[in-house]
Amino acid sequence: VFPGVRQAQWLTKTKLVEGLPPAVLGIVDNPAHGLQELEERVKHAVSHARLWDTAEVAPRREQYCPVLFENLIHICRLMSGKYPSLSKRMLARNCRIAATWERESILLQVRGLSGILMNSMTSIPPVASKEEILATKEHVLETFYPIAPTIDLQEVNVYKELNDTGQCFRDGYPYSHPHTLFFLESANVRTNRFRPEQLRAKMLMFAFGNALAKAKALHGNDPKVLEQPVVVQSIGTDGQVFQFMVFQLNTTDLVSNDGVKNLVWIDSDQNLYERAQCVPEVKKRVVTKPAGISGFQPDTFKKFLALYLHGTV
Amino acid sequence: MAALGARRLLRPSRRWFSETVPGAPSPPTSPLYPPVVASITAKSKAAKSRRLQRFNQRVHAAATVEEKLRLYGKLQRPKYTVYPQTFALNADRWYRSFTKTVLVPGMPPGAAAAKAPVAASGATSDASRAPEPAAEALGAADAPGVTKTPGAAKTPEPAAGAAPYLDIGELRSIACDALLQESFYQNKKRPFLYRDQDHTPGPFLTQLVSTLAASLSGRNPLLAASSLDLNPEVNYYWHHGEEVIVHGHRKGRVDPVRFQIDDNPHLQIRVPKQLSEVVPLESDLGDVPVIDHKPSKLPLFKKQYENKVFIGSKVADPCCYGHTQFHLLPHKLKRERFIRERLEDQIEVVYRSNGIASLFAWTAAQAMYQGFWSEADVTRPFVSQAVVTDGKYFAFFCYQLNTLALSAETIKSNPRKNICWATDSKALYDVVEDGNVKGFNDEVLLQLVRFLLNRPKEL
Repeated sequence: VFPGVRQAQWLTKTKLVEGLPPAVLGIVDNPAHGLQELEERVKHAVSHARLWDTAEVAPRREQYCPVLFENLIHICRLMSGKYPSLSKRMLARNCRIAATWERESILLQVRGLSGILMNSMTSIPPVASKEEILATKEHVLETFYPIAPTIDLQEVNVYKELNDTGQCFRDGYPYSHPHTLFFLESANVRTNRFRPEQLRAKMLMFAFGNALAKAKALHGNDPKVLEQPVVVQSIGTDGQVFQFMVFQLNTTDLVSNDGVKNLVWIDSDQNLYERAQCVPEVKKRVVTKPAGISGFQPDTFKKFLALYLHGTV
Repeated sequence: MAALGARRLLRPSRRWFSETVPGAPSPPTSPLYPPVVASITAKSKAAKSRRLQRFNQRVHAAATVEEKLRLYGKLQRPKYTVYPQTFALNADRWYRSFTKTVLVPGMPPGAAAAKAPVAASGATSDASRAPEPAAEALGAADAPGVTKTPGAAKTPEPAAGAAPYLDIGELRSIACDALLQESFYQNKKRPFLYRDQDHTPGPFLTQLVSTLAASLSGRNPLLAASSLDLNPEVNYYWHHGEEVIVHGHRKGRVDPVRFQIDDNPHLQIRVPKQLSEVVPLESDLGDVPVIDHKPSKLPLFKKQYENKVFIGSKVADPCCYGHTQFHLLPHKLKRERFIRERLEDQIEVVYRSNGIASLFAWTAAQAMYQGFWSEADVTRPFVSQAVVTDGKYFAFFCYQLNTLALSAETIKSNPRKNICWATDSKALYDVVEDGNVKGFNDEVLLQLVRFLLNRPKEL
């Protein structure tokens, strides 16, 4: 009911920046990565997921959304022929995340299945410079007076404060840095899917949860400003529209409303293609919409790949 | 018709013309009466064969492959559903007779020779990983194909091809990491009842194959253009042999025996170019078992439903040839169960029947996508590979489809046989304990790597 991202921003003490950070955009624009040749392959991947994957006429969203994601990840993974350090990544499905923090005397907790998580052996270097981090001190968080910021959150009695992604993985796991979270909204019925705004809010909360758990594992439980900010990325899609997000955790001191804030860059509502027609639409014996993928936008995949390559190139 | 008129005039014995008429009017170039053939609608054997010929012509003349497939499977009748993963005893003999396949134990020698040399894992990181003299072991195994200097750990590259070393240590670490993540590091809930395979071996196989394929894609350009399917569907429908219908309104008629395979491999890799043939098209490497019983004695049951031919994606997909399939055996067919019931010899039968049936269905469906069918036999062999595993034990298969003509009329004059190379199942590791993989078997990993590196000779 509420613009979800604004509420999530207050809960996680975050400042929003529109568009992707310059480090990622630099990877997008860099021609050395050969993103042009991949266009043909991405078109095939989309056609395979949306048109060709089933023996029936048209696959349903529950089928084509995961298949499209797998195809795109397969294309991204094949880049490790060029960049061998990409093989130091591991995908983990169905991992449960749990993180708790206090926000102006309200105890908040994020729990649940956080989709598909990609871990890497090395952490992503901080995206924002020190000046930008210090500049967030002046930023004032948006409050929603008179609406309490915890509206629509479920109040629960918590008996054990669970606190790490270490709950998801045991100690000694070599791929210990969460790199990217993927969210697939693949429910067939539209009401079961998250709307884009709420999807972005969910992505923000889970990215924050993962980053917080990692920060507490690295630097201990005391709230403080981090010298090495933790960066976690997040991509959400419903099979056609993509939301990209880069979250940087600068501080675990979340009780007060001032001081250094966390940063998030969001690029929302990127279409990968306009329409996928399985059978040509014919009105009055004239083909109005031919079969196939129309309105393909390669930039969306370039951003996907850039987020995947971020941290190793 | 002027000719007839002239002949009528000439018939009376009075000759009107003294000069020689240029013969009777030259016999008309086209026959005067339509050809005398069997009827189409009569209840006779000749009519039946004429109907069959008309159907064959219709399929031959189909404009697109989709139309051909539609006509091929248009008539629905009860057919035997063949399950690749089955508990039936000695199922692989039956399946070989249904698909006219010859079983050759061991891998084809070409596969070993086409591989890049492997560097010894001089600096293995983990102490628990079994150290092994990789170069020596491989030198012995590859003796027929590749000339190598045995014993030296860092051999200089042979002159053939400038392929860099295959770092077995890195590949082993990828495999062990995938195994450890799925079985040890990630906290998961308890496996659902009878769904053990979805809990650990399934995700392990997915992780292993996807990361190995990605890291080997630099060496094999075919992999770089491949398409990876998770849990695809593979179907094939064919006729083989004849039977007399025992009951029903069609009782007493002679009908072809119909089979359908509906398979769900765990993972498959499809490529845009075909793998090159292993042996020539007409080679004869063994015998096909002949079974005198009806297929229902296996046990095999009949059902009537849609006749599907599908390789995993539709005809329009450019990746229309198959490379490798990966099958996961279900909980029902695990080794402990066979050992408990004192059927140890059937353990290998399970792997073999899965390999033969799935690969036959896949290669035959690929051939049909190229327009071949039982009346238009393949002009080049179709080759695909498969790995059947239950999470720990791996068995490798390579299949070459030489003929699709298995129906009763076409098999009479068909000397070709399909060939399947199969290995026995070997364990990849012994046990996973405390974050260490004990008893890792490098040969199995190497065979898997060889499979993934397989490519047509032109590339």
